[in-house]
Amino acid sequence: MADHWNFVAAAYGLAVVVLGGYWRRLVRKERELAALRRRA
Amino acid sequence: MAVHTLGWLAVLALVAGVATAFGYAPREVVQGNVQRIMYLHVPAVLTAYLAFGLVFLGSVGYLLTRRPGWDRLALAAAEPGVIFTGITIASGSIWGKPTWGTWWTWDARLTSVAILFVMYLGYLLLRGMIDDQERAARYCAVLGIVAALDVPLVHFSVYWWRTLHQPPSVLKPGAATMPPAILAALLVNVVAFTLLYFYFVAKRVRLLRAESEALA
Repeated sequence: MADHWNFVAAAYGLAVVVLGGYWRRLVRKERELAALRRRA
Repeated sequence: MAVHTLGWLAVLALVAGVATAFGYAPREVVQGNVQRIMYLHVPAVLTAYLAFGLVFLGSVGYLLTRRPGWDRLALAAAEPGVIFTGITIASGSIWGKPTWGTWWTWDARLTSVAILFVMYLGYLLLRGMIDDQERAARYCAVLGIVAALDVPLVHFSVYWWRTLHQPPSVLKPGAATMPPAILAALLVNVVAFTLLYFYFVAKRVRLLRAESEALA
């Protein structure tokens, strides 16, 4: 069977984008809360 | 500080996971290198099982005690759980095309996972729809418990119905039915995904606590 490296790259690439996106969302929220605390 | 350390541990484990998946595990004889998607697909679904187990625990804990800490745990567990379920579905679909010849089929395993994904997506939406925090926590706890009942259905669907999806190679009675090198690479990735999941949960719990303190 052919190796289909493009499918492997697509699966791993998608996982990196999604997990990285969630991590960035958490970091952004953390920064927003920290800024809010500083202002309070 | 502990959350930060957990994050670095997860990064190290993920690097080890990628190294074992692509450098240590051999090329699978029948499927070729496309089988390497398994080192992403299987850890993702096992992490999702763990996530919804935690949602179940947090939901039961909240309904019994009405302590907000249990509710925060359930919500923090559910969010990455939905993400890992989404990765499971997407990676399975990408793996299915070259091996099964189709992106999707309505077989029992795929359908039950899709239902799981939609139910927990609904869990997150429901939380956003209700303004009263106590009522949102109560409704979500009930939904979290009901939706968790789908997890055994997902796992055993391949035994109970005729499916295109193969039966489990791990998390089954008896020894794992795969060569030791492939099993080792899989286990490294399971550990890496579990660490990453707990890092996300710990970070989210901390955020939820800080949010409720800011609102108080």
